[in-house]
Amino acid sequence: MSLVSPPSSGTTFSRTLSLSRARALSTAARWLIGGVYTVFGLAKLADIDTTIRSVRAYQLLPESIVPSVGTALPVVEIAVGVLLLLGLVTRPAAVVTGLLSLAFFIGVSLAWARGLSIECGCFGNGGYTSNPVPGYLRELAINTAMILASLWLIRRPMSWISLDGALRLHHHPEA
Amino acid sequence: MTNARTAKNTRDKAAELRAEVARREARRRSMIALAAVAAVIAVIVGSFVLVQNTKRDTLTSTAASALPANVGDDGSIVVGKASAPVTLTVYEDFQCPACLSFEQANGQQIKTWVDAGTVKVSYRPIAFLDRASTTRYSTRSLNAAAAVVASAPDAFPAFHDALFASQPAEGGAGLPDQQLIDLAVEAGAPKDKVTPAIEGLTYEAWTAKVTDQASKDGVNQTPTLLVNGTKLDSFAPDTVKQAVEAAAK
Repeated sequence: MSLVSPPSSGTTFSRTLSLSRARALSTAARWLIGGVYTVFGLAKLADIDTTIRSVRAYQLLPESIVPSVGTALPVVEIAVGVLLLLGLVTRPAAVVTGLLSLAFFIGVSLAWARGLSIECGCFGNGGYTSNPVPGYLRELAINTAMILASLWLIRRPMSWISLDGALRLHHHPEA
Repeated sequence: MTNARTAKNTRDKAAELRAEVARREARRRSMIALAAVAAVIAVIVGSFVLVQNTKRDTLTSTAASALPANVGDDGSIVVGKASAPVTLTVYEDFQCPACLSFEQANGQQIKTWVDAGTVKVSYRPIAFLDRASTTRYSTRSLNAAAAVVASAPDAFPAFHDALFASQPAEGGAGLPDQQLIDLAVEAGAPKDKVTPAIEGLTYEAWTAKVTDQASKDGVNQTPTLLVNGTKLDSFAPDTVKQAVEAAAK
């Protein structure tokens, strides 16, 4: 760790401590987002037809692109999930998960506001529900956590056990 | 300025310069890594979408060549007199527990209306719960229903009721093909016709087509009920009765 002209050794010590705490938190954030995106991406990939129908059910995209979006979505989710688990190109991957979760958050909120009854597919659950509210709340909670963790990673992308570290790809002066 | 201070300044500047060079090098490397990763993902996603879209197009043309007889273009199986003033459209999945509840609560009443000539039921069975069984029972049961309708349309109501009466629990293996064949034959379908259609999933592409069509029509859950084209909010017997009687007037 190279600190440019430290004012005093006391500050350096506390700075070192908070940096290692930040890295621990970044490592946890990476594994959380990476795990969630990989697992739910695999669930969606296992049933592409249902994923396409879920995308359609939100009534936000034109029908001409719905099948392609529904097909691409699980693969993209798994890709960024694996990147975060590996800690490779952490910051750009966190930008993608942050934007995806923001999109899901907005989609679910709009569906709820418009009274659409959707067997929500954003995190790959299925089946009939007469009361969609618990599903909506669950989706909103998961996506809020994903957005916050992604924002943290965008600010503090350095973490432990990462390919970025092993390949010496970090160039962020603050970390 | 003393010599010692000058030397320290020079050392600091050199260290800063080295750090700056290292940062620039790391930035260059991370740009290359990002470009490489993005390119790999783009190729994987692009080719996957291409392959899947081609597969879907093939399935659509297969569906067109293997349509079950006696089924409407929209995937409807109509039960009742053509002259009946009320059309009750029912979207169901044979794997769906809520559809079973709907049938238990309203089945008898609907039969009475059909026999009286008040109502004709336009069944629109779909198969969107394949994940709820280990053997894609949703698709297999709908394929069996298509096989029954294609060979003996009059046997459909009995087969429909039998499928719900023996609905398998979610998460299990569903009914085996042999049991589907037995139920179809009991309902009055010819064994020599339904056996190959059930075992060979003859109408599988058609099941995908009608399920996709329902999704495009905005049906995202089952059961979905329409009385003369108007969607009902609930399938409670009172609601259904009220809507049907109002439409019959």
